[in-house]
Amino acid sequence: MSASQSAVRSRAEAVAVSRTFDWMILFVLFTAVLGGYHIHFMLTGGDWDFWSDWKDRRLWVTVVPIVAITFPAAVQACLWWRYRLPIGATLCVLALLLGEWINRYMNFWGWTYFPINICFPSQLIPGAIILDVVLMLSGSMTLTAVAGGLGWGLIFYPSNWPVIAPLHQPVEYNGMMFTLADLSGYHYVRTGTPEYIRMVEKGTLRTFGKDVAPVSAFFSGFVSVIIYFLWHFFGKWFAGTGFIADDAS
Amino acid sequence: MAATTESVKADAAEAPLLNRRNIVLGMLLYFVFYSWVRWYEGVYGWSAGLDSFAPEFETYWMNFLYIELVLEVIVASALWGYIWKTRDRKVMSITPREELRRHFTHWTWLVMYGWAIYWGASYFTEQDGTWHQTIIRDTDFTPSHVIEFYLSYPIYIITGVSAFLYAKTRLPTYQEGLHLQYMVAVIGPFMILPNVGLNEWGHTFWFMEELFVAPLHYGFVFFGWAALGAMGVMNTEVMAIGKLIKKDLV
Repeated sequence: MSASQSAVRSRAEAVAVSRTFDWMILFVLFTAVLGGYHIHFMLTGGDWDFWSDWKDRRLWVTVVPIVAITFPAAVQACLWWRYRLPIGATLCVLALLLGEWINRYMNFWGWTYFPINICFPSQLIPGAIILDVVLMLSGSMTLTAVAGGLGWGLIFYPSNWPVIAPLHQPVEYNGMMFTLADLSGYHYVRTGTPEYIRMVEKGTLRTFGKDVAPVSAFFSGFVSVIIYFLWHFFGKWFAGTGFIADDAS
Repeated sequence: MAATTESVKADAAEAPLLNRRNIVLGMLLYFVFYSWVRWYEGVYGWSAGLDSFAPEFETYWMNFLYIELVLEVIVASALWGYIWKTRDRKVMSITPREELRRHFTHWTWLVMYGWAIYWGASYFTEQDGTWHQTIIRDTDFTPSHVIEFYLSYPIYIITGVSAFLYAKTRLPTYQEGLHLQYMVAVIGPFMILPNVGLNEWGHTFWFMEELFVAPLHYGFVFFGWAALGAMGVMNTEVMAIGKLIKKDLV
């Protein structure tokens, strides 16, 4: 092959081409993950994530980490094992949160007029950092699943405390006692408002009184470990580069 | 000396590896169009979109639906037909430089696909959630559905299939057969549209829009996972481009 047939003409051009592709790849990966992760998350844990009166001490704490660890595990499987990039989980969560925040402002508030403090998204960044750091330091999928997955579940409620604690303050209203989040929910009636729809604080876990959230977080972490394993293998499959027979050719 | 001058002139006249203008204009096109769509929703969602039996609903929403469906069929046929009709029949004999240029064009398509996926799967899908939490539906063609299902989904399908067709007809990398993950990344999100059939059929039985996490919606979830096929495309492209830019350089 002659020099004129080379794809690039100098090392400097090779570097420039490589950097340009990096940015294009990053954008496509970010937006594809954003779309896929967001549609997955809103339809498996969305109601708990949409409304502050669904952000309870039991089901929100249990469901959200379990359904949210999926894409981070899958993207880590690609970015770490192929490129040694310890950013898979954080990239997923940042993409999801960007999509959610834009939506909550532009549509939940901008189109249907819910105040932001009834429809802000859940905080997932601390858990994502734990997953990425454990994978980076250990280089082990098993340890990331067990320690990272458990940490992902356990850290969820504390990382949301600063924003949810004020809304969990008790108030008395017409002789009834409930939380500020419940009160704002009653003022902003939705098709998910009826108590036969709203899945919060149900069941005998309330027997444990103040210990509901830690028990839920621990259970969530346990299931997150299992889901991490599963989705890590999904991620490896999705990252495949194989071809199948093309009948047309 | 003369040969060098000619070579420099040839380089100057050569098309750039990446046409940045196309990316900027393409992204602006979607952004401006969807901003207008969002404005239309804001104005006519509340004023004409609450009662599907009202004459203004027919005027502002059903006519919107009819027009967009016709335009989508025309655009898809024209675009896919053009890409196929102008395919390179000697794709295996192009120069490495031309191959690299085509990879850049291919990535321009992929950037547009990612951008379209964002608007369809993220922006307009979650928007549908808040609309159904607010307005009780009395038709399959609610204002949010006219935009989400029948506008933003077809747009990302048209864009994604175009990217796939471009790769298949112009890049040597994809002549080995059908790239499995590329098909997953394009056909999976495409299947979300037919899944609307299940969704609407289910909603004729139950008013489940109160609950976004209802199992009726899990078909969307399953096909949404297919977006992860983008990782397989990315890996294939990284290997192909790596080979190209290392040629004669090491």
